[in-house]
Amino acid sequence: MVSKPDITVKFCKLELENPFLLSSAPPTCTGEMIMRAFEEGWAGAVTKTIKPDKTPVYDLDNRFGIMGFEDKQMILFENIEEVTKRPVGTWVKEIKEVKKKFPDKILIGSLMAEPKEEDWEELARTISEAGVDMLELNLGCPHGMPERGMGAFCGQRPDLIDRLTRAAKRTSSVPVMVKLTPNVTDIALMAQSAEKAGADAISAINTVLGLIGINIDTFEPMPTVDGKSTFGGMSGPGVKPIGQRCVAQIAQATNIPVSGIGGVTTWRDAVEYLLVGANNVQVCTAVMWRGYRIVADMIDGLTNYLSDRGFSSVKDIAGKTLPKLTAWGKLNKDYEVVATINKDLCIKCGLCYVACRDGGYQAIKFEQGKAAEVDEEKCDACALCTLICPVPNCTTWKRVKK
Amino acid sequence: MSGRMHPKTVSSQDRIKGFEPYVSNLDERMALYEAARCLMCYDPPCKSACPTGINIPEFIYRIKTGNHYGSAKVIRESNVFGGECGYVCPVERLCESKCVRNNLNEEPVAISLLQRFAYEKEKPKGLVKFKCAPSNKKKVAIIGAGPASLSAAYELARMGYGVTVCDSNPRPGGLMIYGILPWKAAWSVAESEIDYIKSYGVKVVTKKKITDVKALLKDYDAVFIGTGTTESSRMGIPGEELPGVYLAQDFLFSVAKYLKGEGKAPNLKGKRVAVIGGGDTAIDAACTSVRLGADRVYVVYRRSLTEMPAVPYGKMQAKEEGVEFLLLTSPVRIKGDKKVTSLVCVKMELGAPDESGRRSVKPIKGSEFLLDVDAVIVAVGQRPEEDVLRSFGVKVDKGLIVVNDNFATSIKGVYAGGDAVNGGETVVEAVAEGKKAAAAIDKHLRGGK
Repeated sequence: MVSKPDITVKFCKLELENPFLLSSAPPTCTGEMIMRAFEEGWAGAVTKTIKPDKTPVYDLDNRFGIMGFEDKQMILFENIEEVTKRPVGTWVKEIKEVKKKFPDKILIGSLMAEPKEEDWEELARTISEAGVDMLELNLGCPHGMPERGMGAFCGQRPDLIDRLTRAAKRTSSVPVMVKLTPNVTDIALMAQSAEKAGADAISAINTVLGLIGINIDTFEPMPTVDGKSTFGGMSGPGVKPIGQRCVAQIAQATNIPVSGIGGVTTWRDAVEYLLVGANNVQVCTAVMWRGYRIVADMIDGLTNYLSDRGFSSVKDIAGKTLPKLTAWGKLNKDYEVVATINKDLCIKCGLCYVACRDGGYQAIKFEQGKAAEVDEEKCDACALCTLICPVPNCTTWKRVKK
Repeated sequence: MSGRMHPKTVSSQDRIKGFEPYVSNLDERMALYEAARCLMCYDPPCKSACPTGINIPEFIYRIKTGNHYGSAKVIRESNVFGGECGYVCPVERLCESKCVRNNLNEEPVAISLLQRFAYEKEKPKGLVKFKCAPSNKKKVAIIGAGPASLSAAYELARMGYGVTVCDSNPRPGGLMIYGILPWKAAWSVAESEIDYIKSYGVKVVTKKKITDVKALLKDYDAVFIGTGTTESSRMGIPGEELPGVYLAQDFLFSVAKYLKGEGKAPNLKGKRVAVIGGGDTAIDAACTSVRLGADRVYVVYRRSLTEMPAVPYGKMQAKEEGVEFLLLTSPVRIKGDKKVTSLVCVKMELGAPDESGRRSVKPIKGSEFLLDVDAVIVAVGQRPEEDVLRSFGVKVDKGLIVVNDNFATSIKGVYAGGDAVNGGETVVEAVAEGKKAAAAIDKHLRGGK
């Protein structure tokens, strides 16, 4: 019999029906969009970032770019979009509508203002009183807003993280989560600042500052706005390792829950985030690419994963990988293996031979039409051959004694 | 990773209405996806399987990076008819059969489609030119203007020789122009490569039949013979002389001329045609008959489909176009009074494999049956014209010119390659032999052995 594991999570006293939230981004631009997403099965959503009406915001034509690789159309996404242009009043009305229709779903209001405490106090009061379940302070947007003292400008300064978190906490009637930027030297330090200031949770990461590509015919950077561009925020599958590293660092350095963001595309990515300490995950790029409907497989895939491994609850895997993350210096220097190639599985492509010859230790012997062979004396167990081998389980490890 | 790309093809009902190519070329996206399937094997077996030794992973890699002209250069460095070969090579027997993706239980990389892509990108920019040695004042005459001859001519011209190619046909190109019909390769492909060869200073004389090789040696320092296999073998059964019986090569030649506006095609409209044989030429003749409006077209082959030497792709094409395969069937005699009316066939049974591994066949007693047909096309093999070879005075064995490892014939200074030597292979094999013979001629004329 297939058991039905519990995939609900508790997040700052809030009950999430599953760990999948929509992040503050284009898919949460209006109440109508959020409600459609809820119907598809998302447990919650963070609104597109709301700012005081006095703060001007512009939409550029156009503002997205992608990077592909070989036959993959998109492995990185980039945007230079700003926060929502929609007035606070509109949001207050729509927040009420959403919560009325979906009282059990989690609605989180994302906020941004200039680094003036009174502005944050005012915004936090208005939006929390509108009926959201939580606030998320956007201290991470890396493009446009920082030029005007907002977004990552604040998230890169521990003193501002402290002051603005405290300001929001003073007036908010609901828990406050701080969204951090990875574009800092030490994100753990930033997370500690937020924790100390009273933040109830951290979300990370916001987008990674980048330059997605250059048109080599026109010399124009992308995304191109009338011939020019600016550095933008990267998301999508390629930023997942950065997001995971940041989440693990924050989980190790603080005692408040983390909402994991960055390249979550499938339930597998979500599992990885949960294993390194995320309480839940937020998704944007994957939804922009394939729509809200992807959540059905996320829920089902996670459930089957847990069931297949005998876990009764998603809580059972929370942070399971964290104890296995340690300092480089603490890794076992006496652990020794050598690569070994399965002669029967080898397809005789010679890729391991070239890789080892030109990028390794010249430890593989190869002749056309014959299976490749490892010279165990020369093998330094760097792993290149096992990674480049196109055949699953063909090149593996053999334990050797020192 | 995406699977092999399958470009758009014209439906069989529509394509048989004409002789035009029916497989589209890869567009840039498909080419990129297909190129990304190449593992870039070390010491790649696909390259070893190419008679001209094209560095296949390298040209595919350059498509992947978007360096299309560079890709075409890699191909052309090894094969002067790289474009033509992209269209006509039996890749299922050559490079693609050795693709390592086969070992992963996947379809092989579509090497020929990528090769066509590179050629089509190269063509508008002008085929990639290579450096030539300065003239060495020596002259080489080449007899025949098929792929072996033109390949040798090109190599020699680049080495600084003055090269003259003579052919009895009105156009150079041999089988590429008179034997391969446009649905396989548009003639413009081979023509562009012939023009390219001419641009290296190769002189082409058409409508000129050479018989006296020794006389040529008075004016030229060396001679290369690449006269191909221009004669179809006969079956040697009664009725083969009846009107309505065609020899496959003559048949294809006449259709090619008809398509060029130089003559009439055999009238097969509404007729029943039996093509005898199981090679690529038999398939070509069958598909040509379909396009000429034949009502029913049979391929009569004495062994089973497994033994049939035609490439699987061709067999599939013929089946799609309505050609009927009469397997394990052998013709006994052709009946008719003033013209063909039927073919007497006998059913065959397979026996044990012979030394070459091919299974023997023998007729089943009393299994004769009558197949009503209006035309018979004999495609049981081809060979050089005996009289022509004899007139050259070179040593001939089993109807083919005898050469040593250096493609040298029995007459000093006279070399030969291609179908006239190998008995009828592929364009790519001919190109490779022309190339090797050119290197040997060069060595000889420089005073080497």
